[in-house]
Amino acid sequence: MKKLITNRLFLLSILLLILVFRWKIVCYSFLLLFYFIKLFFTDYSVAVGQISFGLFDYFLSALLIILIPAVIIIKRNSFRFLLSGISFTSITIIFLLIIYIFAPLIATSNPEFQKNISITKLLPPFSSVNEIYSLKNRDESGAYFTLKQMVVKNSFDEHVIFADSIKVDSLITYYQKGQSHSLSISRAFHPEGQFEISRKHFLLGTDEFGRDIFSRLIYGARISITVGIFSVLITFIFGLLLGFFAGFTGGFVDSFLNRISEMFLSFPMIFLIILIIALFGNSIISIIIVLGFSGWMSLFKIVRGEIITLKEKDYFLTAKLLGVGNFNLIFLEMMPVILVPVIVNLIFQFGNVILAESALSYLGLGTGGIYPSWGSMIESGQSYITHAWWMILFPGLALFFTLFMTNSLGNRIKIVFNPRLKK
Amino acid sequence: MVCFIFILLRISPGDPSLKFVSPELSPALAQKIKESFGLDKPIFTQFVQFISNIFSGNFGVSYDFRKPVVQVIKNYLLFTVTFSLISFIIQLTVSYFLALLSIKKMNGFIDRLLGRTSLVLYAIPSFVIGVFLILIFSEKLKLLPASGLMSADAESLSGGAKLADYVLHLILPVITLSLGGIAVFYKYLRDNLDDVFNKPFVLNLYAYGLSKKEITKKHVIPGAVSPLISIAGVELGVLFSGALITEVIFGLPGMGRLTVNAILSCDYPLVIGCTFISGILIIISNFLADLLKAKLDKRLVSGILN
Amino acid sequence: MKNISLYVVLILAIIFPSCVSNKPEKNDRIVVAIPADAGSLNPLFAFSFQEVNITELLYLSLVQNEWSDSVGNVKTSPMAAKNWIWNDDSTTITVNLRDDIYWRDGHKLTAEDVIFSFDVYSDPDVQSRFFGTFNKFYLEENQHIDLKKSFESDNQFTLKIHFKPHSNPGLFDIAPPILPKHVFSNFDRKKLAQLEKGNDSVTCGPFYLYKWNPTQSIVLKADEKSFLYKPGKVKELIFKVVPDYNSRITQLKNGEIDFMENVKPDQVNDLKALNNIKIAYVKGREYDYAGWNNSNVLFSNPKVRYASTCAINREEILSEYLGNHGDLAVGPVAPIFRDFYNHDLKPIEYNPEKAKELLAAEGWKDLNQDGIIEKNGVQFSFTLNYAGGNPRREFAATVIKNNLKAIGIDVKTEPLEPGVLAEKMFTHKLNAWLAGWSVPIIMDLKPYWFSDLTLAPFNLSGYKNTEVDELLEKIDKSKAGNYKNTFYKKLQEILYKDEPVTFLYWIDNIVAYNDRLENIKITPLGSVHNCWKWSVKN
Repeated sequence: MKKLITNRLFLLSILLLILVFRWKIVCYSFLLLFYFIKLFFTDYSVAVGQISFGLFDYFLSALLIILIPAVIIIKRNSFRFLLSGISFTSITIIFLLIIYIFAPLIATSNPEFQKNISITKLLPPFSSVNEIYSLKNRDESGAYFTLKQMVVKNSFDEHVIFADSIKVDSLITYYQKGQSHSLSISRAFHPEGQFEISRKHFLLGTDEFGRDIFSRLIYGARISITVGIFSVLITFIFGLLLGFFAGFTGGFVDSFLNRISEMFLSFPMIFLIILIIALFGNSIISIIIVLGFSGWMSLFKIVRGEIITLKEKDYFLTAKLLGVGNFNLIFLEMMPVILVPVIVNLIFQFGNVILAESALSYLGLGTGGIYPSWGSMIESGQSYITHAWWMILFPGLALFFTLFMTNSLGNRIKIVFNPRLKK
Repeated sequence: MVCFIFILLRISPGDPSLKFVSPELSPALAQKIKESFGLDKPIFTQFVQFISNIFSGNFGVSYDFRKPVVQVIKNYLLFTVTFSLISFIIQLTVSYFLALLSIKKMNGFIDRLLGRTSLVLYAIPSFVIGVFLILIFSEKLKLLPASGLMSADAESLSGGAKLADYVLHLILPVITLSLGGIAVFYKYLRDNLDDVFNKPFVLNLYAYGLSKKEITKKHVIPGAVSPLISIAGVELGVLFSGALITEVIFGLPGMGRLTVNAILSCDYPLVIGCTFISGILIIISNFLADLLKAKLDKRLVSGILN
Repeated sequence: MKNISLYVVLILAIIFPSCVSNKPEKNDRIVVAIPADAGSLNPLFAFSFQEVNITELLYLSLVQNEWSDSVGNVKTSPMAAKNWIWNDDSTTITVNLRDDIYWRDGHKLTAEDVIFSFDVYSDPDVQSRFFGTFNKFYLEENQHIDLKKSFESDNQFTLKIHFKPHSNPGLFDIAPPILPKHVFSNFDRKKLAQLEKGNDSVTCGPFYLYKWNPTQSIVLKADEKSFLYKPGKVKELIFKVVPDYNSRITQLKNGEIDFMENVKPDQVNDLKALNNIKIAYVKGREYDYAGWNNSNVLFSNPKVRYASTCAINREEILSEYLGNHGDLAVGPVAPIFRDFYNHDLKPIEYNPEKAKELLAAEGWKDLNQDGIIEKNGVQFSFTLNYAGGNPRREFAATVIKNNLKAIGIDVKTEPLEPGVLAEKMFTHKLNAWLAGWSVPIIMDLKPYWFSDLTLAPFNLSGYKNTEVDELLEKIDKSKAGNYKNTFYKKLQEILYKDEPVTFLYWIDNIVAYNDRLENIKITPLGSVHNCWKWSVKN
């Protein structure tokens, strides 16, 4: 069974699912891209003002959702990873990657979106509320803007009203917590009759602001993974360079760097991290840098150790005596040897960074203040634990699966590549 | 390292005397307090004074508590050392017995069950565990207190009941703190035991006609335990420096929270004092681990010789 | 294996008896939850509101502040002083002390103690809480009170205090708690602050300090020798430190604690449903505001600031976070001060359409259609800072961000550590921030709104208005009465129009307590104020 369903099949079916459920947004995104390019030629200055990360996020994910399956199908035999059978680890990785790339397509609303808090706050999973949506006429500004309003999800939307119940006759009357409000027809009914009364679904419930937890979870994954990847990159660069430098030169430099790394190891890192973040602000960049920097010691030790043993190996000495240049020595002889322990270390480090970021967010020091983050979601859920368990459970699960995945991935690579551990 | 922290503190924004700027207090007082903190002196003078203070074991006076730092830390240190030692002992004993249980039948049902569970436990962040423990045991079942170290009326209780009160308050925190460690130690110990069992000398001993029980007790366990010690030393050091998250969840008066609060309120002398003490504790626990290892090794050596 | 079973038995042996042991009698004892331990119970260094409240129970003052609901202001009533007489030009007060006040160690409280207290409070070496506030006394150069010129004592129980001419002194100036001279004079004054806890045992108030378990609890017991002692009232008052809010609520429900303040509004209904909990609302003298840097090009125009207030849905925050336990603010004067409050001003209504129009009239329009309004090439975009770890501010920041985005203002929110935030606020480095003020019970608005920033350290938004300056000066000079009230009302009217900051709302303090407590009256002066009058139902 496991062998039958390959990773490729799994990946493709997930992408297909997204396409089936979100084809509307994908199509609109393409249309919007087309209008945007047109605008670029007709009204250059306006188009430049439109350039924003949020918009390009949509374009990119719409393009990729077509391109990725195409590439996979065309270059059928190129990706070895995809050909093997699914496992827990690979499923989690594929899920995280898809969420990371296609967040704007998957999420049902902007993670910060909130409106009529009294109606939407603290709803349990699978609940829904009445929604009045009136599409304002923006013909004067062109099709591009009308379309953009439909595609790009904003953190605010004046056209949306949530209500407990809605009555439509000559007026639209809606009730919010026992208070009745009415809209005059002209405001809700567009001259062309573009207004919709529908139900807004909250798959995983809402938080205390009435924000959709499902969407926040997805964007939170983006934060966690971004922080993880970039911190690990910094760790990698720092640890590798210093380790190389120390192992290669030896002598005073080596012992000096070694002392420093021991000094850092003997110090509770969490305090240093909190100290720096508390004093210099907790933007996502400073968190990435601090977390990245705080992990260099173990990598340094590994690289340095490997290189020092390697330097005494016969084949390495032979190569050196044969007159192989330094560059080749490093990249052809050293790199392959240290690669596996380094990768294993980095994978564990990735898990640690994600855990550290959410722990910081939990303490109120992470990126959580500005972006939704799993840790901050748990933290804010803690005050509502008695009547809104879903606020903690889902981010907790997401965190758990991610960490579990990194641990088992690291262990597996260690076992596969380590000749001493034969199983 | 402490010097590094000192420099970091001085170049950072934040002014500790601002706490004393409030509508209820006079500006003159804030000025006076600022002077008494000595923050208006040049950094170099501050640094020299700071270094000489450290060597005399005097960390100055905490801005927040307005008491000598050593006095402030004393209260918190006692708790942290007890708390982490309890958790440490529980981690070691539980994982030791679980590992023994699982090598009775390698790859048997219990072994696989424990292996899976330990992987799962290892991956759950402690704050998630803690929050759910509170939800289950104190919100829903109302069995155990959710936070603090003792009940309000603890003063009036007799000696035994008072101790029981402490223990009740510590059950959830100790579980939260220990689960992760148990998982790590268990995994490590089990793999080590497995490793040693597969070594040729064990086969040799079987050949001599020794029983499995005897081999396990006399030869395998000592061999598997000694590599654990250095890891345990590191873990103990980490515990000593304060189980920050657990302390926050359960509102316990430990070093971790003290340090973080000191950092957040710009209480520089206290920050320095806390980090210094934590560093020393880490070094001590590593040193203890080394000592123990040397001692165990000798016994191992002599055991084999006999 | 033997070992582990031994442990199990041991642990069970410890836990088991506690499960069956009966709780001791709880009559006459009240447990009050506090979020943090007191740093000091010494009146010299009781800096926080909570510490002040507790020390007031331990140490008596000459006079005691009382809140009068009927007047809407503070009244002063006798405490250690039996009575007093002002001289004709109000520069000298003659105080007759009660002769039945004893310190815990048997000494009588005398005029000597009072003089000594003022001496220590104003000593620059001590750095006490009151240092620098004795401007109406005769002072030496280092702000120490000139004892010879100020105090005159004929006998143990009468005391004359002379103030500087034209300094307009009041009873508030003699309100600091009285310290025991025979104890405190033994210590080196420079080291007073570093005394071990527990040197606070010689007190004269209605309660005395029975035991202080650092970081855990402060136990006070009623002093039977105090003249305030009445049988049948509370005998033991425990302040239990419970840092975590949720645990406080849980413990209140379980009956582990009897009294807590600052209940979050969303829990009020939960608590109300319980039979054993009562809830009291205390109208606040604390408000939150969104500060705008008035010297920034974005906020220099009062109409833009007014428009921002228009665009912020304060009602939603008030109803959804505060559960309507608060009032929309119109200015910096709390509605509880009835005479000063301008009842004619109505809170600015939430109206995003109007806000847009106002902004457009001032030239802020979205010309390049990127969703953000601009004027002269400047985009209306800024960062709103607030103190991390404060859920109310976080809630407000989240709502304000979305409200302003809806009218085309690009807002980012960023939480800062309280220390860092304060430093940046006081050095005027921020463009916009969320913060709050607690209005001192003796109102003085000059430090907040006066144009000269050296005289107004709390004018964080850098607001400047000469008309306001004049009014503030007039208020300073006038005595209580109709004139002062009109000045205050006029001041509020100007601030309402100029909107130097967006006044958000006044926050009620929600207090929850076990229904076995009786005779509770909670005033804006603090929840445990006068708590020796509380009693416990049997």
